[in-house]
Amino acid sequence: MKSNKISKKLLFSACICIPVVLVFVSLFIGRYPLSLTEVVTILQSGINSTTPGVSSIKHAVVWDMRMPRALMALTVGGALAVSGGALQGVFRNPLVDSGLLGVSSGAGFGACLAIILFDNILFTYILAFAFGILAVVLSYVTGKIYKTAPTVTLVLGGVIISAIFAALISFTKYVADPYEQLPAITFWLMGSLSRANYHDLAIALVPILIGVTGIMLIRWRINLLSIGEREAKTLGVNTALCRNIIIACTSLATAGAVCMSGIIGWIGLVIPHIGRMIVGNDNRILLPLCIALGGSFLLIVDNICRSLTEGEIPLGVLTALVGGPFYIYLLKKTKGGGGW
Amino acid sequence: MVAAVLEVQDLYFAYDNNRKILDGISFSIGPGEIMCIFGPNGCGKTTMLDCILGLNRVEKGQIFIEGRSISDMKIEEVAKSVAYVPQKHEHTFGYTVLEMVLMGRTVHTNMFDSPGEDDIVVALDCLKKVGMYGFKDRVFNNLSGGEVQLVKLARALAQQTNLIVFDEPTAHLDFRHELNVIKYMTKLIKDSNNTMSMVMATHFPNHAFYLESQGVKTTVAMMENGRFGAIGRPGEVLNEDNMSRIFKIRTKVFKNLEKDTVLNYMIPLDFSDGGQWNEC
Repeated sequence: MKSNKISKKLLFSACICIPVVLVFVSLFIGRYPLSLTEVVTILQSGINSTTPGVSSIKHAVVWDMRMPRALMALTVGGALAVSGGALQGVFRNPLVDSGLLGVSSGAGFGACLAIILFDNILFTYILAFAFGILAVVLSYVTGKIYKTAPTVTLVLGGVIISAIFAALISFTKYVADPYEQLPAITFWLMGSLSRANYHDLAIALVPILIGVTGIMLIRWRINLLSIGEREAKTLGVNTALCRNIIIACTSLATAGAVCMSGIIGWIGLVIPHIGRMIVGNDNRILLPLCIALGGSFLLIVDNICRSLTEGEIPLGVLTALVGGPFYIYLLKKTKGGGGW
Repeated sequence: MVAAVLEVQDLYFAYDNNRKILDGISFSIGPGEIMCIFGPNGCGKTTMLDCILGLNRVEKGQIFIEGRSISDMKIEEVAKSVAYVPQKHEHTFGYTVLEMVLMGRTVHTNMFDSPGEDDIVVALDCLKKVGMYGFKDRVFNNLSGGEVQLVKLARALAQQTNLIVFDEPTAHLDFRHELNVIKYMTKLIKDSNNTMSMVMATHFPNHAFYLESQGVKTTVAMMENGRFGAIGRPGEVLNEDNMSRIFKIRTKVFKNLEKDTVLNYMIPLDFSDGGQWNEC
C-alpha cells in the first residue's frame, strides 16, 4: 500500500494542493467580508498595484494582512512539524517534539529579555533566535558529559536546560513592568502570527529553509538512526555526524519559526503522529507529509484564532486545546497497534 | 592459498574498568568458511564480535578484513565488508519489512540520498533468498522471532559483503525456526560458491555439528579466560573434556549415522564441578 506508486503521486499532489487551497480560503476569513470576485480580481492585479474598481483597503486586507499571515502560518507550522518528526526518529521516541532540546524555552527567554530590555521587535526576533540556538548548544554540551548512550543523555540535557530557561522566563515575568511588558511577554509565550508581514517572513525563511532542506536531504538516514546506534553503525552510518546534522537543522528550523511566532506547542508532537497514521513510519515519505500537514494545521488553527472572537485568541491556546484531546484519541486508537 | 577474509592477530581488549575481556585472540577465516564461537555467558563473545564490526576500537592487536586493517577503516568502510545479524533488535517505529531490508543498502547510497529502484530490486531479491518475499509489506515489529531473524539476515545480505557476523542467531527460536535459520546460512554459503564467510556466536554445539555434516567448512573456537581455549574442527574441539573445563558441565557426545552422513550431537548431563550453582 505504501510502496504503491499511484497513491504516492496522489499523496504528493495532495501535499501541494491542500495548503494552496487553504491559503486561498483563508483570504476570505476575517472581520472584513470579501466576495469571491473581489478576491480573484485583487489577486490578479498583483501585490504592488492597486486594484481598479476595488477599494485600496480591500487590496491591503488581501495582500498585506491575510496573505502574509497565511504564508507565515504554513511556514511556521511546516517547520515545527518536520522538526518534531525528525527528532522523534533520532531520539527513537514518539513523545519527542520540536522543543526537546530546549530551543522553545531558550527562545522564550530570549524574547522575554528583549521585551524587558529593548522596546524593539527586531531585538525580540534576534534574541529569541540566538537564545533558542544557545539552549540547544547547552543541551548538547550537557549531554556530552556522559559518553555512553548519547541519545538518552541528550534528552536529559534538553530537559535540564529547558527547565533552567523556564525558570529564567519566570524570573523575567517577575521583574517585568506589569502594565506594559508582562502582557507582551505573556502574549508572546502563547504564540501569535498577528504581526506577520513579508519582511519578517523573508527573515524567518532563511534559517527555516536551510534547516528544512537539510532534514529533507538526510531524511532516509533518520530511519537508520531510529533503529538504534549499534545497528545503524553496523549498517555503515556515521551516527554521530548524522545526528549532529539533524539536530543542527531542526534547531535552525524551530528557532526560525519560534522567533517569529512565539511558542506554539503540540504541532511538533501531534502532526508527525497524524502523518504516521496516514503513511507509516518511513521518514522518506513521512517528513515531506509533515511539512504539508503542519502548515495546513497551523493555518486552520490561526484562522479560527483570528475569527472566532472579537479579539485574537493566542495560537498556543488553541493548538493545545485542539491538539491535546486529539492526542489522547490517538493514544487510545493506536494502543496495541503496529504504529510504534 | 586464498587470502583470508578475516584475520585476527593477537587481539586484546579491555573496557574502561581495565578488566581484560579479550587477552590475545588470533584466528583467520577463509572464503566459504564458518566460524562458531562458543563460551559461557559474559566471556567476551559479543565484545569480540564488536571489535570485528568496528564498534569497539582495537587498542592492541590487529584485525584485517579482506587484507585491510580495521584501524584504518571508517565505520562506513567496515560496513562495506562486514554485515551483522544482531541478537536483539531494539523496538522502534513500525517500519515495513521492505523498509527494514532497504536499510542494508546504506553503504551503497550517499549521505544525502535515499535508496533508489536498483536498491529495491536488490532488497526484494535478498528477501526471496531467505524465503521472506511474501512478508515485504508486513510491519517488522509484528513479526515472530523466527521471521525477524530471517529479515535481519536479508538485510545483511543486502549489504553485499563477503562476511556476515551473527550474534546468537537462533536465541529464543523454536526447533523448526532454529533449523530454518541454520539451513539458510548453509545454503547461502553454498550458493555463493564458497565466497561468503560467516562468524557466529552460539550456545549450541549441535549447530557446529550440523554445519559440518552439511559439508560446510566449519571451525569451532571455545573462549576461555579471554583466549581461545580450544580451536579446530567441531569433532576435535567439542568434546567432553573441553566442555567440562570451560563450561563446567558433564556432557556426552553421540555419533550417529543419519542417512549417509555422520551426525554428531551433544547432550548435557550434569554439572562437572560438584553440582554448585552458578559461579561466574
